[in-house]
Amino acid sequence: MGSGNEILDMYIYETGTLLEQLETIVLEAEKADTFSQENVNEIFRIMHTIKGSSAMMEFDTLATVAHRIEDMFFIIREGTMSVVSEDNRPALFDVVFQSIDFFRGEVEKVEAGEPLNKDIDTFLTNINTLISKIKGEEVPEPAPAPAPKAAAPAPAAPAPAAGSGDYPCRLRVNFEEGCGMESLRAFMLVTSVRDVCGETADFAFEPSNVETDPSTSEIIIEQGFLMMFKTEEERKAAISVVTGAGSVQGYEPIDYHAPAPAPAPAAPAAEPAASAAPAPAAKAAAPAAQQQQQHSKETLISVNLSKLDLLSAVVGEIVITESMVTSSPDLKGLALDAFSKSARQLRKLTDELQDVSMSLRMVPVSGTFQKMNRIVRDMTKKLNRPAKLTLIGEDTEVDKTIVDSIGDPIMHMIRNSMDHGIEETQEERIAAGKNPVGEIILSARDTGSEVIIEIIDDGRGVNDDAVLAKAIRQGIASPDAEYSHKEILSFLLAPGFSTNTEVTEFSGRGVGMDVVKRGVEELGGTVSISSQLGKGMTTTIRIPLTMAIMDGMEVAVGDSIFTIPINNIQSTMKVTSGEVIHDSSSGEIIKCQGSFVPIVRAKDLYQLQNGCTEIEDGVLIWLEAGDHSYCLFVDELLGQQQVVVKQLPAYVNSFNVKNYGINGCTLRSDGSISIILDVASLYTAARGM
Amino acid sequence: MNDEILFAREDEMEALNIAQDDGVDSQKYLIFMAGHLKLGVVAEDVVEILNNQVITYLPMVPGYIRGIINMRGLMIPILDICSRMGMPSREEDNLVVVINLGDVQLGILVDGVDQMLDIPKENIHPLPANSTQMLVSGMCSLPDGSGTMMVLDCEQLAPHD
Repeated sequence: MGSGNEILDMYIYETGTLLEQLETIVLEAEKADTFSQENVNEIFRIMHTIKGSSAMMEFDTLATVAHRIEDMFFIIREGTMSVVSEDNRPALFDVVFQSIDFFRGEVEKVEAGEPLNKDIDTFLTNINTLISKIKGEEVPEPAPAPAPKAAAPAPAAPAPAAGSGDYPCRLRVNFEEGCGMESLRAFMLVTSVRDVCGETADFAFEPSNVETDPSTSEIIIEQGFLMMFKTEEERKAAISVVTGAGSVQGYEPIDYHAPAPAPAPAAPAAEPAASAAPAPAAKAAAPAAQQQQQHSKETLISVNLSKLDLLSAVVGEIVITESMVTSSPDLKGLALDAFSKSARQLRKLTDELQDVSMSLRMVPVSGTFQKMNRIVRDMTKKLNRPAKLTLIGEDTEVDKTIVDSIGDPIMHMIRNSMDHGIEETQEERIAAGKNPVGEIILSARDTGSEVIIEIIDDGRGVNDDAVLAKAIRQGIASPDAEYSHKEILSFLLAPGFSTNTEVTEFSGRGVGMDVVKRGVEELGGTVSISSQLGKGMTTTIRIPLTMAIMDGMEVAVGDSIFTIPINNIQSTMKVTSGEVIHDSSSGEIIKCQGSFVPIVRAKDLYQLQNGCTEIEDGVLIWLEAGDHSYCLFVDELLGQQQVVVKQLPAYVNSFNVKNYGINGCTLRSDGSISIILDVASLYTAARGM
Repeated sequence: MNDEILFAREDEMEALNIAQDDGVDSQKYLIFMAGHLKLGVVAEDVVEILNNQVITYLPMVPGYIRGIINMRGLMIPILDICSRMGMPSREEDNLVVVINLGDVQLGILVDGVDQMLDIPKENIHPLPANSTQMLVSGMCSLPDGSGTMMVLDCEQLAPHD
């Protein structure tokens, strides 16, 4: 069943892509409150493809729904958008959105191997009602639905009809009875014949729309599949192909003589009744788009992410192995000119390989961002709070795993902004001197080492007092303590905190914000909130650009080796014990460039057996992460290194070592392991001791 | 030295396999020594046996986790089984049995590998009811009279949430 699954995967992937495309079009169209003719054609094409592929996969309900929507857009395409009256437009947009959701839901079920929803009657009725509404308005063009059906084959018919004289050598192919998917088989024949006769081969076939219309199978079953060639040679080549093809029962060469009423071309015009009707018409519009799609297909391939993961893991290993080989201790003291030269070349190439393999995994955030449009749209309608979403820096590229995981946190924040941020009524906004339409800005930018995603709303902002009162009620804050604005905002991210007392459909389950925080932290990023009462709130998510590789400083403490992200290091220094200031609780403080920063001794924090105890013997590394600034005392610096970050085993992580700043590990050039430290949580741990 | 034992045992196992193929419900166990105990794990779960590994010390974890090793790019945590079962921990670390624990792999530090053996299920008896040893799910007298094997309950080794 390997090949069957591949087809299914392809179907799921393609349908998903098409739905995304469709959603983008509809969202834009809704803003303009109309579909441009181009959009209508595109939607028509998408629905047509979904219909065809769903029917091929025998997902009949999907094919039926797609078919009805296709019909609807057929009417719109024929009569342009003016056939849909202003009143019907919102309903039209809603139906299209509903259908997108329907398809998504069903495709998910297909993916999960669950049975499909068979009950599509209500949904179909919805579409049908809308269609009749649209048609009802359309007096000048009587009965549009049946009319195109009758008319549709007409433009398609001339081609074979005219061709019949040009293609005197014919070949009728009959497939085995009950072999199924005759149209697809026929199309495969056509492709193979084209392969044999060359791309330029000039031949026609009947029915001509086997590629796109599965219902032509019936015609093929009844009348066979007719191929028409110009020359006898081509037909001979085709016969050899046909005899080699599977499920072919037999073939019959026919020579075309007189321009008598050819039964074959005439029949299809009448035969493909209901379902096939719009297909030939689509053919006429689709070629341009289809050709374009085929072109892009050649330059783009979809690769399973796990393969890319494997690739980057292997490349990481290669980079390490390369340096293991070239700096092998066995080579010490040998004068190896040729070897060094080749080794340099190898290093250059492995570096390049690493860059390329990293870039493979980088994708723009636009897909994730576009999805937010839909959320804002739905919530605007539901909550009746007009708001628009502005996207900035959609083409920022980040690691694929990051793109996949930032969707939920961003969605939470957008929902939060819509639900709690933007004022409930337009009057409230006007009174505050703001544009009655709320605005949420979602921006992404790349700073070279990390990607910064900001969600900015121009709503009410955070009410410090309300948050504090709530935090005290929840037992997160102490009623006696004084809290700064910053600290109060940090309560928003605490687990179990939600300022809205009511649970709404969109947010306020009391889990939102800490889920955001946890989600982002899993990616090695940070979340911070800033807010101005009455002006709005800004959520900033910072995520390292790629999780797989980073620049680190290797340091030794006793027998252990740690790697510190270079981004966090401000400077390193040697100090004497005289410079160290002791505070009342025997903590150590050092003065760095005018500010006082605490000293954390790695040896004491991690209870290591060996290592320097005298401050003169070791080195201080001044570290900064977020709001934390401190000096880490280590034995010595081993040097800067680009390292491949590896996650610690889940077993180890279950002991919460991440809370102690132990964030991952990496293989050193000699194959030993260095532990990667997280500067922020290390300090939190040290302070908590 | 352990390799030799293993290879030898595997040869013997083939002979044993043929003997066992007549419908007796049995399972193959790898038996290793830890302190004064003979412990058995289901052989299917054993990934491999490693010699002379450099274990990287990992701070802030319970003492029975010796650290992690690099097994062909995979990070494997190393568990000192003696220490985990409350026996005095060992000084020399040179033999690691890597086992599959669901989707994670775990290295167990052992004193030596004894043998691989097919044991019929009915020969494995439950522990005395008053036993407090949580990591052992059953025990069995070895057919060669060399002692008693305790069946290590790998599920219990997995981290608890």
